[in-house]
Order: sequence, then structure tokens, then C-alpha cells
Amino acid sequence: MSEDLVNIEVDGIPLKAKKGTMLIRVTDEAGIRIPRFCYHDKLSVAANCRMCLVEVEKAPKPMPACATPVAEGMRVWTRSPKALAAQKATMEFLLINHPLDCPVCDQGGECELQDVSMGYGEGISRYSEAKRAVKDKDIGPLIATEMTRCIHCTRCVRFGEEIAGLRELGATGRGEFMEIGTFVEKSVTSELSGNVIDLCPVGALTAKPSRFTYRAWELVQHASVAPHDGVGSNIHLHTYNGRVMRVVPRHNEAVNETWISDRDRFSYTGLGAADRLTAPMIREGDQWVTTDWETALTRVVEGLRGQPAEACGALLSPQASVEELYLAQQWLRGLGVRNLDHRLRQSDFSDQDRAPLFPYLGDALEALEQTRACLLVGSEIRKDQPLAGHRLRKAALGGARVMAINPRQVPFNFPVAETVSADPRGMVLALAGVARAALERAGRTAPEGFKALLQAARTDETVRAMAQALAEGEGARVLLGVQAHAHPHFALLRALAGLVCETTGATLGYLPDGGNGAGAWLAGAVAHRGPAGESLDAAGQTPDQWLQPGLKGCLLLNVEPDMDCEDPARVMKALGSAAFVAALTPFAGEALKRVAHVLLPVATFAETSGTYVNVEGRWQSVAGAAQPPGETRPAWKVLRVLGNMSGLEGFEYLSSEEVRDALKDRLRAAGVEGFDTVYRHDGASLAVPEASRGLQRIGAVGPYGVDSLVRRAAPLQATQDAGAHALARIHPRQARSLGLEEGDQVEVRQEGLSARLPLALDEAIPEGCLWLPVGVAATRHLGRSHGAVELNKV
Amino acid sequence: MAGNPTQRKSDVLNAHVRAEIDDWLSRYPQDQRQSAVLGALRAVQHEHGHLTTELMDAVADYIGMPEIAVYEVASFYSMFELEPVGRHTISVCTNVSCMLRGADQILAHLEQRLGIRLGETTPDGRFFLKREEECLAACCGAPMMQVDHVYYEHLTPEKVDEILDSLE
Amino acid sequence: MATAILQFFKTFMLWELLVGLKLTGRHLFRRKITVQFPEENTPISPRFRGLHALRRYPNGEERCIACKLCEAVCPALAITIESALREDGTRRTTRYDIDLFKCIYCGFCEEACPVDSIVETHIQHYHFESRGEQIMTKEKLLAIGDKYEAEIAAARAADAPYR
Repeated sequence: MSEDLVNIEVDGIPLKAKKGTMLIRVTDEAGIRIPRFCYHDKLSVAANCRMCLVEVEKAPKPMPACATPVAEGMRVWTRSPKALAAQKATMEFLLINHPLDCPVCDQGGECELQDVSMGYGEGISRYSEAKRAVKDKDIGPLIATEMTRCIHCTRCVRFGEEIAGLRELGATGRGEFMEIGTFVEKSVTSELSGNVIDLCPVGALTAKPSRFTYRAWELVQHASVAPHDGVGSNIHLHTYNGRVMRVVPRHNEAVNETWISDRDRFSYTGLGAADRLTAPMIREGDQWVTTDWETALTRVVEGLRGQPAEACGALLSPQASVEELYLAQQWLRGLGVRNLDHRLRQSDFSDQDRAPLFPYLGDALEALEQTRACLLVGSEIRKDQPLAGHRLRKAALGGARVMAINPRQVPFNFPVAETVSADPRGMVLALAGVARAALERAGRTAPEGFKALLQAARTDETVRAMAQALAEGEGARVLLGVQAHAHPHFALLRALAGLVCETTGATLGYLPDGGNGAGAWLAGAVAHRGPAGESLDAAGQTPDQWLQPGLKGCLLLNVEPDMDCEDPARVMKALGSAAFVAALTPFAGEALKRVAHVLLPVATFAETSGTYVNVEGRWQSVAGAAQPPGETRPAWKVLRVLGNMSGLEGFEYLSSEEVRDALKDRLRAAGVEGFDTVYRHDGASLAVPEASRGLQRIGAVGPYGVDSLVRRAAPLQATQDAGAHALARIHPRQARSLGLEEGDQVEVRQEGLSARLPLALDEAIPEGCLWLPVGVAATRHLGRSHGAVELNKV
Repeated sequence: MAGNPTQRKSDVLNAHVRAEIDDWLSRYPQDQRQSAVLGALRAVQHEHGHLTTELMDAVADYIGMPEIAVYEVASFYSMFELEPVGRHTISVCTNVSCMLRGADQILAHLEQRLGIRLGETTPDGRFFLKREEECLAACCGAPMMQVDHVYYEHLTPEKVDEILDSLE
Repeated sequence: MATAILQFFKTFMLWELLVGLKLTGRHLFRRKITVQFPEENTPISPRFRGLHALRRYPNGEERCIACKLCEAVCPALAITIESALREDGTRRTTRYDIDLFKCIYCGFCEEACPVDSIVETHIQHYHFESRGEQIMTKEKLLAIGDKYEAEIAAARAADAPYR
């Protein structure tokens, strides 16, 4: 290593640096500030703003520090007269066309150009000619543009190409007429697009939802964690008068680097939704009456006590914090209610006892970058967990073979080695094919229970190539995504993936939905295991068993039964027949008002403290930032009081930290050291799924339908992604055989239920399947997310 | 994502243009396909007169590069026309050598004769007077102009008339 | 000795009274400078910092662009502003309150304003009749601006050469 280090001198300070490192990186680490606009740590070097010019010994002209590699004996002056003259001249050029509209600019107060011009700009401009003006572009509902302010640093363009993997912005024209934009009128569609707002050093790209509503200096910054996906992106909530005004990324190299997804950035816009619940409400006959907490809580305790515990259940959101989940299960189990679960979208629970104690990624998020082969099973990772997708993209660009077995051919923003898109049965057979090919390669025989399924498996080049890549690739892994968890044969997928991993040496990983989808297992929010995976005296039933007519009582924790659950029709029917339903929810949605008897307003992630365990097993605790509206209380406090009122022991917690520590103590007491995701197949017997008849329904929840908050975030709902997700999709050939065309309004019939929505022709959908979105208004009256459907033109 | 397998954006390119783009593509390494974009755009412009967004998308699809990258190239070079123009493109050099030798008079004569100004096309769609042209590297023959890739040097107003009359 | 004699005479001739009356007598014939408040006012400088006003452009458009610089500079934290995107795409205030009980009439808001919107007028006599009236809302401030625009503009013009 040492021979790689060179000695340089900057402003008289001797520094050591790795040979070939760019000068600006060395000075940044040494705390020597060089002004810059186009340089960004995470992006390629463009050297087009020229602001970082410094004087280098023996160089005839000033050199850009961002594009000058260090060499032995180099002597640099960053503030010598020559360097300063160059920097000031650059500043003057940049300010020639930049408008003087800082007072109306949202970037004002946190603008890199403003800051640097304080140091390097002149008080008076020598330029008296006309300034150029650039027409604004409409690039969608998330990003506001003011292109006259653009200084052509091209950070946004490079971001699109290098990070988002979607080259949508570009620099068209040249010289005076150069403009940054999309050239044709279109929206920027990347799921990471919001990051260009942070990247833009000036006010050319700003956040549209929060436009003109705050000034940077009056915001209060609170560290937090986004609960919408398993990555647990670190964020800063910026509040003004107790209201969240915007969300920006918090740098954490191990989790989200410096990026966050649009979902994490703009979900806060749903906080003030019109149906936000501000006071406890109880149902009196057909009327909803606002009441006080005392009355409402008493009603809940009595309401549940009045029902037989074995006929009661609870649905807990995977977005809830571990404290809320832990207290909820403590309280419910204390009451004797055993049917509780956070696996709302899962339909196959047959092998739940084989699930690991903590079904997580199996490794650190950063390790995804190092993988050389990765098989995604039922995962649209790019939209489901955008920043995990970004890690995988880095691996793929580095030559890793990323493969996918998915219901539909999802567009990736990186090269993909092999893909299979098939109906649910086809997915199982394809994964069985991979397992079979892997076993053949390794010269092993299949375990007894697998034989029948492997016999029926798909055998072709694709699955053989997948097996080969996984066997040969270093750090290979098989990831079970959100759609695998919702798959009607999840048990088969898990078993096969486990066998593939066992045979090839790959790591099995889980990418469930929700910010706490993995953490909920530790908190005991599953029917068959207690906190820390403790075994129970008697396991509860799974939601598919107890959410049936005959249900007596139910508790919903931040769950909208018609949107968040598998088979919403059945769930709504069961809840509708229940004698007592209580909901802890931030929003009084229409469905909740239909089935619930008590609504308790609880705080969202932005308004209360809590802990989220992300898919790599990182415990991230945050404090509340915003003022909860009205009578809203943190859910953990509500559950604590419910525990007290029910006369249960052990509900004396004074802070969420105490709850978290209690859970951690349970983990320690249970002797849980580390976790693994190894699948033990002893005694497993897999049946070959039956061939299905007729048009098969497939589909999943879209990126902007994952939870009640995101669904209420108007700017996210206005994006192209959300719009494209609200359509029924079918393969063009299939459509032709049914006499349907793009844009037709169609009626979907499923087991006596029907829904109407527009149809899109999409060759990504396998033939014989109909893709229907989940978690959108159009399909919330339908049943299971799989099975036979009929399609008719309206 | 959406779309029909039988329809691709590059379908608007005809066989002749495709052959020409293939020829350009064959000159560059397999992993440097975008190098052919200049040649491809030139071929398309020659065939269609000017570049529409549709045609640029077709080139992007055919070569396999982002559409915006093709727009960048096409909007950068002044040789590419993004708006419909006349059949014959006239570019008068007005750089130093030509200016000293009377390019301004040539330009004034052209404008007066055609009844259009720089950057405009005659109503009959015959001539297009290109907006701005810098040195075309024919200083020895100044003043000069270029009409459809052909250089005309040592111009006088009479000679300009002659040239214009000879064109369809 | 002579001083003592002089002192003796002064003790009974009311000399000091005469000296005082001399001053009074002198001013009896001078021009009077007393200002008959409230019938009369002292002249005030164009820079006088009295009651606030929000100005408009001649076309009737409010000047304020909700940059919040006055709010940021106000040492007494007397100004409260909320802003939003107006329908025509411009940045405008939805709330502009000055608490006159907090205001110390330092004039920083005027100085900070990039569009000469918030100004302090020459109005110095005003009163409140009930609680809450000391909060000058956007409507009240604009109304003052509308009413006294001519005088505000004249004061700015008079002061312009010295800026």
C-alpha cells in the first residue's frame, strides 16, 4: 500500500494521498475547501464548471482540482493570487447569465452558487448586456424547473446516466443556446429522480410539492428513517412550526449513501391528507361521533373483552415500528388473542415453521455490491426497494450476472443476464429448473420430497445458465422479493430457493415489503412465534384462516383492510361481520369507517419515536419530529395504556426506548446471537402445483401504493409510475385473441366480483395472464391476487 | 415497458438508411455503437430532409442509445436541421476572410433576391438560407458559399444569380 | 471689599430677578418656536420610521414576494410570514403579520426588502382599542400602503440621493 502513497503539498501543508486520486478529494479529506459546482463525490468527473481551478507548480495554467490526479512532489496553492484570479473570473462568467432572483428562489439560503459568490463574486457586475432566458420545462409532478438559473454543471445529467440508470435529462444545443432538459416534453420517471433536487447547486431544479412554502433557514432538522421499504433510508425531516415541510437524505454510506427514493422523499405530503384523523371516534349506530380518549379506549378494551379471544384477531402493519408491534402482540397475547400477523399480503403460510427466526437479506446491504451473481425471485427490486436496487445495479455494472424469475418482464436499469417471466406455476417450475440444473452440475441427487417437483421442472438453456451463474459467481445470492412473499406457492419458492442456495453455495435473502417487514418477526408480530422467535404454547391461526365470516373481534394497527391485505373482498367481508373492530390509524379511510367501531388517531412515523429494523438487521431508532395533529397520540403509548387498562402486567414503559430495550432483552434472553437464512429442507415434501385454467390473475402492489401514507401523497399519485400502475395489463397477442385494444375500459370478473379499469397492452406480461394492480382503488373490491379471472370489454 | 412486439421505433427507417447506418456501425467496435450516431443522423437527414423527433428516436432505437443522447448530438451540430427546410441549403461564409472580400454584399444580394432573411426558407420551398455559417475553410476562394455540400468560390452577385438559376 | 458692598446691595435690590426678567424680556419679542400639538406637528425626516405599510406596484400587484428576508432580519421577531405558490405561478405570502407590540421600529425590514415592499411610513399617531389589534395583518398593511402611497413614494424619492 505504502508505495501507492505520494507526498504532495497544498497551501504549504504536506499531505499524503493515494497516487492518482483527484486533487479535490485529497483536499476535501484534509479539510481544505476548494469551491466547486460540477464535482460531486458520487458522480463522474466532468470538469466543466471550472470553479475549482487551483495553481499547480510547473503547470502553465491553473488546473481544475477535480480532474487533476495527484503525483509525487506536487505543490498546489488553492488561494494564491493566480488561483484566486482564476476562481473569481470563473465566478464572474457563471454570474453573467444567472438571474438575480434569489429572493424568490427556493434554493436561496442553501444555494452553492450564492455561498460561493459571497466569497468569490464581485459586488457589482461588469456585464450590462442582455441576460439569456431559458424556457421552463415541465418534467413531472415532483421537480420544479427554473432553467434560466441553470449553470450547466450537468450533475443532473450525470446522475441520470450513472445513478438512476435512466438517461432522461440531457444538454441540448450548444454554447449560448445550451439547455438542460428532456428536449421533448416528458416527465422524468426514475424512482430516484428527486435526488437531482439535492444535486442541483442552484435553484434550477427544486421540489415542486413544497415550492415556495418555506425558506431554508427557518426549517428545523430532525434525523429520521423512512419506513416505506426495507432499506430504511436515513432521512432528515425538515419541519416548520411543527409541520414537515420537506424530506432530504441523511448521509449513511452503509444504508442509502446520499440518495433516497422519491417515495421516501415525498411521502410526507400525505401527512395532512383531508381524511387525517384528529380525534378518537366511535360509531353510534350509523353515525361516527368524535369522543375523548378515555371513552374510546374504554370502548376498545370492553369491546375486545366481550368477544371470545379465539375468534379475535389483529392485523399489524409491517410499516409499524418494532415498539408498536411488540406492545401490540404483548397486549393481544395478554388478552388471549393469538391470531395476529403482519404478513398482510402473504397467501401461502404452509411452511411458516421453516421460516428463519429473522427473514432478512442475509447480509449487509453493501454486500449486494460485491455479489457476482444474483437471482431475483418475484422481485421488482428497482421499484420495491429502490436503494437496494441501486446496490445491485452497481454490482451488475461491475459485471455481476443479475437474473430474475418474475411474473412479468420488469424493466431493469442495468444489464440483466437471464430473465424468466411466467405465471405463478411457471415461476415455480422455472426455479425448480434452476435447482435441478444446480443439482446436476454438482452431481448430487435431489432430496426425497423434492423429486416429483424437480421432475416436472422446466429444463432449458435459461435455467441452466442461471444455475451455472449462481454456482460460479462469488458471493452469489437468491433474493425472495415482495412478489415472492405474496406468491400463491411461496412455500415452494422458499424451498426451491433454499435448495438452490444449498447446492450452489449462494446466500438466501428475503426482501419483504414494509419498513419493518423483517423486524416484525423479531417483535413477535407473527401468529406462530413470540418475540425473539420464542415458541408459543399454542400458535395462532394465519390470516387466511381467521379472516373469515365468524370473526368476532379485530384490531387493525395502521392497516387499511381494502388496500393493504391479500384478498380484500374476503377481509372486508370478515371484518364487516365482526362484532367489534378497533383501528389504530392516522387516517379515517372510507373502508375503515365502514367496518370499524372505534377509530383511534395514532401518529405516523414522522410524529413519534420508534425503531425500524431494516432488511440487513440494522436497528435504527428515531425521535418524533412533527407535531401530531389534534388529539393524535403515538401508537406505542396507546397500546401501553390499553395494556394498563386491561389490567395486564408489564406495561409500565415511559419511553419507546424502554420498549425497544425490553425487546432487546428478550432477544438476549432467548440466546439469539446472529441470524442466518439457511433453509433446512429435512422432511419437506413439495407438491407439483396444478396447471391452471383460463386467464390467470397476476399482479402486485405498485411503488406508490405500499401504505396509507404513500397512497395519500398527491404528488406521488400524480407520477407516471402511479398512473402506469393503475392499469390492467395484458400481452398484445392475448388481447388480440380477446378482441381488446389498448385503452379499452375492461371489466374483470373474479369469483363473482368485478372491477372496471382501463387496459394496457404490455408484452412484459406472460401470455395467459392478466396483470392487475394491487393496492389501488380500482381493484380493492376484488378477491385473491391470483387465480382465474374473466375479462370483458365494457 | 408497454408496446407491441411487432412495432419498434426504428421501423420508420427504410432499407437504404438502414444499410447506410449498418455501414457506419461496421466501422466502430461492437461496444462503441454510439460512435455511428453522426453518420446515422446524416444519412437520415439526407433521406428525409430534416430530423424529426420521431426520426431521432428511430436512430436511438436502431443504434441502441438513449433518445436524449441523440437529441444532444443533433441539436449540437448546426449541420442537422430540426425544422423543415427548403430543398437547397445555402450557407454563406461570413467569417473574416470572406467578410473582407465582400461576403456581406453577397449575403445582402441573396436576401434581396430570394426575399427572405437568414434562417428562412423561400415560400416555394426551394431555398433555405442557413442561419449562421462560420469559416468553411475555403479562404483562398473568398467570398464563398456552400450550396448542398458544393462549394462556390470567388463569388460576385452575378455569379450568385447564375448559381441560383441553375438550381431546381 | 468692593465685592462685599456689591453683594450687600444685591441682597435687597432683587438683582437676580432682573437678570432673569432680562432673558424673558428678550424672548418676548422673538419669533415663537413652540409647536401647538396636536394642532401642529414637528417636521419629520423622510427617513422617519413610523407605522408599517405594504406597497403595491402601479399596476396594482402587491410587491411582496414572500422572500422572508424581513422576517429573518427582524431583531424583535415581530414579523410572521407564511408563503405559498399562487395560482399564476408566483411566490406570494398567505400571511404577513407584524406585531406592533414587539416591533422596535428599527427599520431593518425596510432595509432588507429587495422589492421595497415593506416600508415604515411617517404615520406616528395610532392607537388600538382592543386586544389583537396590534397585529397588523397583510390586509391592513396593504390598505395603509394604498392610502399613503403618494407620501411613501415622495419620502423614498426625497431620500434616494443619500442612499
